[in-house]
Amino acid sequence: MFGQLIVSGLAVGACYALLALAMVIIYKTSEVLNFAQGEMAMVSTFVAFTILDAYHVPFLWAASLTFLFAILLGIFFEIVFLRQAKDPTVLGLIIITLGFEMILMGFAGWKWGPDQRSFPFPVSNVETYDIGGLLISKINFWTIVISVVLMFILFLFFRYTKLGIAMRATQQNPLAARVMGIRTKWILSFTWAISSIVGAAAGMLIAALGVLDPPMMMDPLLKGFASGVLGGMTSLPGTAVGGAILGIIENLFGGYISLAFKSVVAFAIIVLVLCIKPSGLLAKHYVKKV
Amino acid sequence: MIKRVSVFLCVAILSTFLLSTQSSAQKVRGVTDTEILIGQWGPQTGPAAPWGAVARGTDLLVKIINEEGGIHGRKFKYFLRDDSYQPAKTKAIAKEFVEQIGVFAVVGGVGVACGMTARDYLMENKVPWCGPVTGVYEWITPIQKYLFAIYPLYDDEAFNLTGYLHEKLGYKKIAMFYQNDDYGKQGVMGVERYLLKKKISLVAKVSAEVTDRDLSTHALKLKNSGAEAVIMWTMPTHAALILAETAKIGFKPQWATSNTLSDSALMMQITKGLWAGMINSFFGELPDSNHPLMVKYREWHKKLAPQERWGVFYYAGIIFAEPFFEGVRRAGRNLTPETWISAMETLKNWQGIGPPISYSKPNHPMDRQGGKHVFYGKVKPDGNIQRLTDWMQITK
Repeated sequence: MFGQLIVSGLAVGACYALLALAMVIIYKTSEVLNFAQGEMAMVSTFVAFTILDAYHVPFLWAASLTFLFAILLGIFFEIVFLRQAKDPTVLGLIIITLGFEMILMGFAGWKWGPDQRSFPFPVSNVETYDIGGLLISKINFWTIVISVVLMFILFLFFRYTKLGIAMRATQQNPLAARVMGIRTKWILSFTWAISSIVGAAAGMLIAALGVLDPPMMMDPLLKGFASGVLGGMTSLPGTAVGGAILGIIENLFGGYISLAFKSVVAFAIIVLVLCIKPSGLLAKHYVKKV
Repeated sequence: MIKRVSVFLCVAILSTFLLSTQSSAQKVRGVTDTEILIGQWGPQTGPAAPWGAVARGTDLLVKIINEEGGIHGRKFKYFLRDDSYQPAKTKAIAKEFVEQIGVFAVVGGVGVACGMTARDYLMENKVPWCGPVTGVYEWITPIQKYLFAIYPLYDDEAFNLTGYLHEKLGYKKIAMFYQNDDYGKQGVMGVERYLLKKKISLVAKVSAEVTDRDLSTHALKLKNSGAEAVIMWTMPTHAALILAETAKIGFKPQWATSNTLSDSALMMQITKGLWAGMINSFFGELPDSNHPLMVKYREWHKKLAPQERWGVFYYAGIIFAEPFFEGVRRAGRNLTPETWISAMETLKNWQGIGPPISYSKPNHPMDRQGGKHVFYGKVKPDGNIQRLTDWMQITK
């Protein structure tokens, strides 16, 4: 049972990590916590579902079109909502993300209705791999693989590409970045686009693991946020580690201590981390110079 | 002269007062010469949204009755409100129904916790309430004059379902997967009551919170219990998730569930076919039934609500409303809460497309429990139902 709990925990933790990553990308650049992240992912997943269900295109094509939609959705939100805010404070921007979240939730309910759907994913959700006596379902296995690959690509992107470095520069000092010729407004839009893509990937995986419906991201988003806090809201590797740890802790807690309190472990962790190491496990403590 | 004018004025004022008092007394909330206002809440959004189809099904019956000319010269105006399965919203909706809209009655209403926040308020305001869409004891104990329950009691339903699994199908190791609230707990109550009677222990009792989305640990606990059969008392989302999680780890017991999950077309779709083999109890005719009323409703559905899927959750909204309209018919043109209640108490084994309904003057809680029957069916691989039994009385 122990091994099985770890494997299941890793699979769900990978999804938390992806969502946390999407939030952290935004947070690193603008210090805004995007509470619309879950619903942006949910709407993108519904778009993927519509493409697959209505047009019967191959999954990879549908996923690509969905990522394109996610890019447009991220840029649209940044330009039409956030950029228009007058004298924006971080708190004000966070409230705008909350408003956008409600708009998207209402839109999804109106457009696709409240019924649950099964998301057509090319990997079976019941077939399993037997790895050394440990059963791991194909969908769990591929969820972990896809998440790790995506995180690795993002890590390389931020570390080695000019655009990634420009994004980091904009986060560290927007004024200096502008002086150095970086178009910070475009960088911000691009950040929202990338975050939206990562969220869409998480949404499709979460829908494939469970069911697709408008409230499907409520719980994962909160857990993703907890993963970010645990790993460090400014550290990309931290979110991956945070997601994995959270998924495993939750499962072990539910398996050996109490199922009823399983879902509150994430929030206990948030409180604990904020008390002991507010910057998270892998992020450096941020000291504001005065 | 002044004296005469004073007397005249006094008489005029008194007459006006008396007439206006009489007029107010005659006025019944939510009933006019041409209309009767009724309301229902139901989750149109949120995790329990598939059950929201119930409230839309009632809307279809209202439209059908209006199309047929109404009842005793009055047509119905139906107010549907989304409470997202959140009790706080339900209470606000109940207040809106009474204080702003002024409905004559509430029909249906999904959710135990949701309904419980509204029950006392509706009863204090003497609002007739027909058919809460749950089967818990709270609707009939303490006895409420204005509340008529329809849904068969979960406790009795679970008791009999466990008996069916044990006695007819021979399962001895039975586990329970349930939603951690009154809905799930009254299912557990019935299962444990039966097993206690047979001196058998439940091999596992695993609960899920409404917001849970990761049920992998729950699935492992069920598998490790070694259960041969698992009874589930959850909402559709959790049912789909637990079937997927147990399938992933190769755990394939005989599943059985309440009529709350009897929309097999929806369940087959969201479980990607894992719903096949499920033993379900049913409290209404099957979707493709040839019952004359079902044929009639299906035809109207095509005309009036073609955008809706004709499934059990949808036409359950008709099942919960039919007895209310029968009560209005029997009450006659002089419709008041009292005449409606008296009319409802004349229903004896009255049947629409749901279970036989009977009520009596409220001397015992069961006098307000209308539905006492279910039947069992097994979901075939194509999603259709193989009927296993006829209607059975589960509440004695």
